[in-house]
Amino acid sequence: MSDIKERSPNQLMIFGIIGGLLGIYLTFLLPLIGDKIHGTIGEIINTIAPVAGALGAICAVMWGADAVRRVAKYGLGTGVPSIGQIAMGMGIIAAMFGLAIVKKNIIAGPIVAVATASIIGFIIGWFAQNVIKMKIPVMIRCMTEIAASGTIIIIGFSAAVAGNFEFGNIVNLVFDNGIMLVVFWVGAMAILHPFNACLGPDEKQKRLLYLAGSTGAITMAIVGLAAIMTLGASGVITMLLGIVLWLIFYKKFWDEVYNDASSVVGTGLIPKTEA
Amino acid sequence: MVAIDPILLHILLIAISGTLICTAVHFIPVGGAPAAMAQATGIGTGTVELAAGSGLVGLITASYMYANGPAPGIPPSMVMVLAAGAMGSMVMLASTMFAGSLVYAYGVAVPFASAQVKKDPITGERQDLYMSKGTQGHGLPTICFVSGVIGAALGGAGGGLIYYVLMQIYSPYIAASAAAVAGVFTMGVFYVNAVIPSYGVGGTIEGVHDPKFRRVIGKDVITSFFVSLICGVVAVFIAQGMIA
Amino acid sequence: MVLDLTMSMAILALMGALATIAGCLEDLESDVGSQSNPNSQVQLAPQMGFLHRIFNKAISGEPISNGLSAVIGGTVASVLLSAEFYPLTAIVIGAFVAAIILGIFATTSYAGRVASQTRFKQPLYMDIMRYTTPSIIAHNFIMNFCLVAISYIQYEILGYPFTIPFLALIWGISAGAIGSSVGDVHYGGEREFQNREFGCGLNTALSGRIVRKAESGLRNSIDNVWFCAKFGGPATGIALGLTVFFSSWPTTIWGYTWKAIGIGILIVVVFIVLNRFLEINAKNAYGPYKEEKNETEAKA
Repeated sequence: MSDIKERSPNQLMIFGIIGGLLGIYLTFLLPLIGDKIHGTIGEIINTIAPVAGALGAICAVMWGADAVRRVAKYGLGTGVPSIGQIAMGMGIIAAMFGLAIVKKNIIAGPIVAVATASIIGFIIGWFAQNVIKMKIPVMIRCMTEIAASGTIIIIGFSAAVAGNFEFGNIVNLVFDNGIMLVVFWVGAMAILHPFNACLGPDEKQKRLLYLAGSTGAITMAIVGLAAIMTLGASGVITMLLGIVLWLIFYKKFWDEVYNDASSVVGTGLIPKTEA
Repeated sequence: MVAIDPILLHILLIAISGTLICTAVHFIPVGGAPAAMAQATGIGTGTVELAAGSGLVGLITASYMYANGPAPGIPPSMVMVLAAGAMGSMVMLASTMFAGSLVYAYGVAVPFASAQVKKDPITGERQDLYMSKGTQGHGLPTICFVSGVIGAALGGAGGGLIYYVLMQIYSPYIAASAAAVAGVFTMGVFYVNAVIPSYGVGGTIEGVHDPKFRRVIGKDVITSFFVSLICGVVAVFIAQGMIA
Repeated sequence: MVLDLTMSMAILALMGALATIAGCLEDLESDVGSQSNPNSQVQLAPQMGFLHRIFNKAISGEPISNGLSAVIGGTVASVLLSAEFYPLTAIVIGAFVAAIILGIFATTSYAGRVASQTRFKQPLYMDIMRYTTPSIIAHNFIMNFCLVAISYIQYEILGYPFTIPFLALIWGISAGAIGSSVGDVHYGGEREFQNREFGCGLNTALSGRIVRKAESGLRNSIDNVWFCAKFGGPATGIALGLTVFFSSWPTTIWGYTWKAIGIGILIVVVFIVLNRFLEINAKNAYGPYKEEKNETEAKA
């Protein structure tokens, strides 16, 4: 419906990239500040630093979910989920590359990863459009966006588990114990579920974005639970904050459902229709 | 013969394994949602997930084969790992298709029929007579079954091959974590290469005898080869990053 | 850990049994919520004017949603194991957390899908939500428990190189792929369209015209699982059980040799032959739909 005001793709893209990268870099910058300030405040800053990564990832989830929405509206022939899978497939390859290649300059890692993901996404989008001939006008742009958001999600949540985004550290704390798989899979679910769950002729962006926030927050809570194993106190904060955020977004989503649904009834017979 | 640089060989092998996975998806007879309603021939699920489901079981068997070499610390030959992957994958898909056939035969009570060919190329039986009204065939005729098994073998071997190559690349640098990193990377490559052909086939394909097979396999394989080549380059660069 | 032959066969049998239960419950869970491929009909029905009281659990395809719950279960279990919990407790708590999260996803997809069908006047029934979601959680809990237990056995006892969450994810994907290939046919091909003639595929013209009346009253998703538990669920269980059992059986008996691979291929050939018997049996029992028009052409 065109009369409803929607967030533009560019707005969401800026929100996703800036918010995502800001969150990821805060996991790196906050400990620098925290180490300067001695005593309790410094410790608190160090403890909450990894939480920022997860918050950044939620921004990217909302962006990715909207990109999925734009491309999947055309009908992909294989259902919505496949695009979430390919997003995370590209995302994980690019994230590993970006974080590993920079060696000692770890500060450049996330940017290199996002750039790599965009290139891989662009190439796959280009092939899908021009070689496989899918005839979806937004294919190339959305594939690029989805790959980039997938990478931010993976790095953000990994940083929340590992405490920073240094490759060796991530290998030890996220790959070795298999937590990468939960980041990979639940992250994919977080960006594909909102559109998949709201699919239908009366789908609305606002409801979808609230749902994206909710799935992102669930992922954050699970990642927080996993981070208790690796980081201790930071994990507890990530998990609790994730649950609080989830409650907020879930409530908002239900408000929208009550607004949008034809009727919400406790129970009852099937209304009479022509059929 | 010119000796190939090992790094180049690794990249090429990853590209080949990605292509194998892509080819595998074309072989597996998948009917998507219509097949679940006995409305189309094939297995009643999505292309990506079935290829992934069988290929990843292959990955489990391949990785276990890799871990159980002839002597501790020495992995078995590459062909052995590939064969183990293919075996696990084939067993998974064969038992799935067999149980699916049970449901088609005794739950929905339809004889198996393919819509794309008039006669089954293997058994030579008429197909069109057994197709119920308003459907595109149903069930899993022998040709679909055999095609699916071949596809599963290719997919399992492809997954096993990436895993093998990545273990060769990463083990020298991060011995303890190599399996985890290689496994996750394999999964990433696997999904990318399973989704690409599913866009090509548009969600449904009956197998090797389907006219669609010849129509789309060329361009899908080219796409997959190039994308996997990039993945291979990326994989080697990740190893460079581990040296530091 | 190196085990003798008897012990490793016992473990393999246990894994096969767990997988059989997991597969069966996986399929039934998807039928409770009407997930995956048959969901397309539930989704289509209001558009055709067939409003219904069936749960619309569109959490993507089954492999992804079951992978989701299995990997969460595996992760929570490994977090608890690292905190030195007793393994059984860790697996149970992990499975429970994962099932609850799947339940949350289920509620959002039912509410979201119905809210997106406003123009067809499909109401959102809160009672359906209230008593179907716990059933989904319960089925999913058992599946998670079995799959995480298999992963625990493979990782801790058999020494697989992958971690518990990784193995759980793969088995979850595999269980979902099998469930949507096997059990869903029984639900989508038969239960949703019991009003059409028995013994044929679904005519495309009937798409979306699902059965909405139950044996008594209006049909809901609990009625569907009651039906599918008779055949679709157990068939799925057998498929997953066979997969888990036969994918490691050859290497357990014959070691990591070419002989074992050969045996594996032999098993696949046996499956092909069995499928051929099934095909012949079905064709002879039901016969062709159309009369043969040209005898000579058929013989040629």
